Amino acid sequence: MIRLHEILAGLTLAGTLLAPPAAAQEGGETPSADAKKPDEKAKPDDKKKTEDHYFAVVGGDVYTGTGGVLRGATVLSHNGKIEQIGFDLDLPPDTKTLDVTGYRVYPGLVAINSQGLMGNSASDFGDTIDPFNTRMILGLASGITTTGTGSSAVKLKRFRIADALLRERAFSTFSWSVRNPSGKKALREKFSATAEYLRQYRDWEEKVKKDKELKEPAKKGVDNTVLSVLRGETMAKFSATERDDLLGIAHLAQDFGFRPVIEGCQEGWTIADELGRAGAMAIVTPRDRRAKDERVTTQGGTNIQNAAILYRAGVQIAVAVQTPSVDLGGLVGRDIMAIAIEAGFAVRGGLPEDAALASITIVPARMLGIAHRVGTLEVGKDCDLVVTDGDVLHYNTLVQWAVVDGRLSYDKQKELYFAQIRPRPEPEPAAAERKLDKGEAKPEDKQGDGDKAKDEKKPDEPPKDDDKPKDGEKPKDGDKPKDGE
Amino acid sequence: MILQTLLLSFAAASPAGEQTAPLPSLFAIRVGRAETIAKGTLQHAVILVEDGKIVKIGEDLPVARGIPVIDRPEWVVMPGLVNAYSRLSLEGEAGEEFNPDVKASAELYANSDDLKEVVKYGVTTLGLYPAGGGVCGQAVAIRPLGKSVADLVLLDPSYLKIVLRATSSSKKALQDGFKKADEYVDKEKKAREKWDKEQEKKKAKPAKKEEPKPDEPKPEEKKGEEKKDDPKPEEKKDAAADAYVPPEVDPKTQPFLDLRSGKLHALVSVQSAAEYLHFLDALGKETCAWDLRLPLTRESDLFYVLDKKTYELDVDGIGDKKVRCVLEPVLTVHPGTMRTRNLPMELSKAGAKIVFVPRSELNPDHKNWLANVGEVVNAGLDRNTALSALTLEPATVLGVEKRLGSLEKDKDANMLFFSGDPLEPASKLEAVMLEGRIVFGEVKL
Repeated sequence: MIRLHEILAGLTLAGTLLAPPAAAQEGGETPSADAKKPDEKAKPDDKKKTEDHYFAVVGGDVYTGTGGVLRGATVLSHNGKIEQIGFDLDLPPDTKTLDVTGYRVYPGLVAINSQGLMGNSASDFGDTIDPFNTRMILGLASGITTTGTGSSAVKLKRFRIADALLRERAFSTFSWSVRNPSGKKALREKFSATAEYLRQYRDWEEKVKKDKELKEPAKKGVDNTVLSVLRGETMAKFSATERDDLLGIAHLAQDFGFRPVIEGCQEGWTIADELGRAGAMAIVTPRDRRAKDERVTTQGGTNIQNAAILYRAGVQIAVAVQTPSVDLGGLVGRDIMAIAIEAGFAVRGGLPEDAALASITIVPARMLGIAHRVGTLEVGKDCDLVVTDGDVLHYNTLVQWAVVDGRLSYDKQKELYFAQIRPRPEPEPAAAERKLDKGEAKPEDKQGDGDKAKDEKKPDEPPKDDDKPKDGEKPKDGDKPKDGE
Repeated sequence: MILQTLLLSFAAASPAGEQTAPLPSLFAIRVGRAETIAKGTLQHAVILVEDGKIVKIGEDLPVARGIPVIDRPEWVVMPGLVNAYSRLSLEGEAGEEFNPDVKASAELYANSDDLKEVVKYGVTTLGLYPAGGGVCGQAVAIRPLGKSVADLVLLDPSYLKIVLRATSSSKKALQDGFKKADEYVDKEKKAREKWDKEQEKKKAKPAKKEEPKPDEPKPEEKKGEEKKDDPKPEEKKDAAADAYVPPEVDPKTQPFLDLRSGKLHALVSVQSAAEYLHFLDALGKETCAWDLRLPLTRESDLFYVLDKKTYELDVDGIGDKKVRCVLEPVLTVHPGTMRTRNLPMELSKAGAKIVFVPRSELNPDHKNWLANVGEVVNAGLDRNTALSALTLEPATVLGVEKRLGSLEKDKDANMLFFSGDPLEPASKLEAVMLEGRIVFGEVKL
């Protein structure tokens, strides 16, 4: 079903479509094409060595998520990792390519929290994941390629059960509420004891080098979840709404030197500077509504500008949806499928667009501790990206393709759910080019469907379409070795 | 062992039909058409039956004078139906996660009305499996009629039934089985080494009386290990001195040793594409023979794992593995749509072998079994594949394919006589023959 066009390497990024993977590289480079052939024949012998998988997304406007937009650039992945991003890339001959000229390429979205996208599994992903379930398709259709679920981070890898889990135990969850003063006290004590233990431990670590018989400090009163936070192994996650709680968390964080992740944070805008100073990160839902507590004189309640105000104060913002599962109550609902639209509402409240993109990509990735793998399009990171027909934050935008680990995982036109909405026109230049590629329908007919007919051009058809000046000659050269095959 | 005794007393074990017009031990059948399954369709078929076995089959064979002939040129004959996956007549309770030692034959009793009933619909062989989840035990292949349990049994054990779900515990149950087999192999190896050392010690002391032996027994005993029948308690007394006795095998371990050695094969139930992947994942590098039980749900997503190529799977698809798939003759729909899918056909085209079972254990579904298969054929499944999926393929799943499942020389004379094409709903099942005896319908010589 996954239909990929093979592309001639070295041509312009607009991409000349060619059927076979072993297409000649460049017009003048027939010898290299010939040299490729024995390689291919050798493949079955040493399969493990030649499992190299190249995949390139060609010609889109690449929003890397690091600030830059590369118009008409190519993202090349090798075995699931991004190898190059740029223009005029030399693609390896076996590269599978996807021509996305005219579309936008974004990093795959990272949902900070979702339920059900992995099938019915919520833990033990390696043993329970369902990579064929329809909610995963809908998740990808919403642009999500990675999701937090519980305190794990998993990828929406279709058709495979291996390596979906990115990380476990990303969070240590604490509660902090004005309604539970003793709980607050106990937590502060845990932090004190653990911080003291850590000081002693570090001291001991230094001293033990000289005096090997020195005893390790006792772990009395030390809480392991707090310890993992203070050691920076996990993120401390709080769920808090009210100003007082948020203030308390901010102070706690400043006192003990950790960066809290605060889910909810509805009244955060009233004390944004405090949260910013504490290095807090907030998970907000812009369409949340909460009335101000009229008994207090300070500001309160929800504010559409919440995300924007927090962001200006230096708080990193992740946007979450109201219902973290797939819930088909309307096309633009408040379920996980509306994740990008939810971020769009933060823009309405004044959040810059790049911050809004970050709020559903790199920031949640940071919170989940997987920012080294996903969240932006950078060389060395996982090739998880989505191709859209417009601004990802716009309600009118549909995800056209989604790529996970360098493999095409979603194609709008091949799945049931959105194919009928503004069907994607077949790229015209591709059709014209294909006429030239006579006798080369072979590798494509594996998935053909509708395109088959176009591909199966009669070999004796005269190459009258040569009038395309830049591409016309090269495929012709490519033809010759093909015919000999 | 049960099988051996059965074979010896075979003639006696022939089922006692109820309404039988007794046929002589040697007779011929002449019908308009025979679906032999193994050798295609024969027109004007003549089948010679002696002592419950087919001794000759061919087109327009001359029949020697004096041999009684059932002459029904309008009839079509096919082998008796084989339902390889059933719990008819069994009532045992479901087991827990890991019961490879449980045998369905222990639940078996003769003279069950359920079994008698399905004979009327043409079922002449059944595979009965133990209930439960996880590794639930060993199935038994039976004929539906017999005076005693021993009369019923054709082969025991037939296959090891495993239910695999996408859960850690389910996958672990399967892995534990092979782990146990590993542990036993280790244990056996150590026992062997110990025994070898003792033998060497004895060699060192030439005064001992068994002195000439030590070299000889070794090759013989190696064969003995494989048999696993050897550990006889009476030998234990002087076992250390005489022969090597492998340590006893836990009955829960034995099936897994048999799986590895190829003595037993597994029938693994997976419900969805994901569970198929999880099964392969749980199996890991273990190589054993297995077939699949695929209960087809209305929106089954098994089409995702037909082959490796279409969805770029990282493992072989069901078709690539060329395994047998035990499933109901139903048409499913593509998930989320009303678009019909013919999974039996798709599986077959991908390279898997199809084994049909009735849609349920209920009598109407046994009665409509052939008609239901006819629907799937009508929707595109190859007709011969479908007929084979009712007879020879299920017999293969049960491990009795050398004995029944097709109309061939030396096979059991299990035959169904139809007034027309077996898959045509209008055709009537005129008579059922089980091992040379008419057990349903009336046949005049």
